[in-house]
Amino acid sequence: MSQRAADAVFQGLFALTDIRSILRITAPQHELDDDQKKKAEKALASVEKQIAILREELL
Amino acid sequence: MKCGACNVDARMRDETAINLDPIQVGGRLTPEAMKAMISWGDGYSVCDACKKPFRLDYIEQPPLNDFHVDVAEWLGMAQARTVPGARRGFQQVAGTYVEKGDPVLIGALAHYTSYLSVEIQQGIVREIPKTEDNHITAEAAAERIEDVITEFGRPPKLLYIDHVDYQYGNMHDVKGIAKVAHQYDIPVLYNGVYTVGIMPVNGKDLGVDFIIGSGHKSMAAPAPSGILAATEERADEVFRTTQMEGDLTGRRFGIKEVGILGCSLMGAPIVGMLASFPTVKERVNHFDEELANSRIVIDALASIEGTKILSEYPRQHTLTRLDTTGSFDKVAQTHKKRGFFLSSALSKNGITGIIPGATKVWKINTYGMTRKQAEYVADTYLEIAETNGLTIL
Repeated sequence: MSQRAADAVFQGLFALTDIRSILRITAPQHELDDDQKKKAEKALASVEKQIAILREELL
Repeated sequence: MKCGACNVDARMRDETAINLDPIQVGGRLTPEAMKAMISWGDGYSVCDACKKPFRLDYIEQPPLNDFHVDVAEWLGMAQARTVPGARRGFQQVAGTYVEKGDPVLIGALAHYTSYLSVEIQQGIVREIPKTEDNHITAEAAAERIEDVITEFGRPPKLLYIDHVDYQYGNMHDVKGIAKVAHQYDIPVLYNGVYTVGIMPVNGKDLGVDFIIGSGHKSMAAPAPSGILAATEERADEVFRTTQMEGDLTGRRFGIKEVGILGCSLMGAPIVGMLASFPTVKERVNHFDEELANSRIVIDALASIEGTKILSEYPRQHTLTRLDTTGSFDKVAQTHKKRGFFLSSALSKNGITGIIPGATKVWKINTYGMTRKQAEYVADTYLEIAETNGLTIL
């Protein structure tokens, strides 16, 4: 069992969900303000981190 | 884009556009609910830790037991249960009190499911008429109670009243109506599908016996989901437990509740409602901001010559009914896209949720918009009006 891999899947999906919610509150133009850009940046960094973990664990 | 290998399109309505659909906006999920659904979407997921006495509202992980207690307290009621949609709450209350031939009073602006919940019991609906300005009043309720007593020789078994109705989004005098009903010992069912989860609601202050809310309409939860809350006096009746026993097997069914057919709401709907609840509890305290956004949009529409606001004005709710027969429908008469010009122009500008082709009488709900989105919607309507030769007052 790789608990780390399962955690990474959920963490990645949760981070993507944060980006999804940014898309919703900025629709339809998706012009992000500074705060929203910071949140998107943080979420994207988390997604990248989780993908790296999954590569380590599964491949 | 499809949802993986299945033949279901990915739905991106709210990611790509501003949604004005009157029934959808209050039920859009919070990020917390979306995340909870990712991990709890499997069918009987909430039953992982179901222990004796095997009932949904006793489950500790996820904390459904606390959720039931918290919801009741939040609504100023003694007990609450989850139901698969408000209509099932109506059905549960009607199933408890209404028998064949019993009269039930219902506000004339009520949703059809209120009527059907009485019909399934073979009860008889009598309506409380609306006023000319589309309100249900305590005076009208009192008159109709007397009418029912004259007709049936007894008062109605129940009285249903919508706090905010789905047709106009008007606010009705629940407190006054409940006071009248209680003078005749008639239990009052508060229909809060457009209020519970949208604005503050307290059953004790309103003096009602039952509160019914919709998870998927106003509590940022997946469908079908809802809440039925009751006073202490009524809870034992509406949440009565089974006394049934199999005649051959002698089987009995513990403390399962009859009206709800045991466990009512499992998996994604209840976990979504649970996960959204902290945000929902908080957001009702900011309803004034929602009204301010609504005003921006409605005032813009009202400034288009020929447009009438059919709902009460100034608005007390974000759901509004409009008549644009004298504005957008005039354009539709000669436009090459006929009545579809409006929804088409809105769609091009990233605004959705309006019935395609509707240019006479239609409804919008601005709930959940940011201020920037409200201003954008207002500007877009004005721009469409001007582009099509309508006058802005």
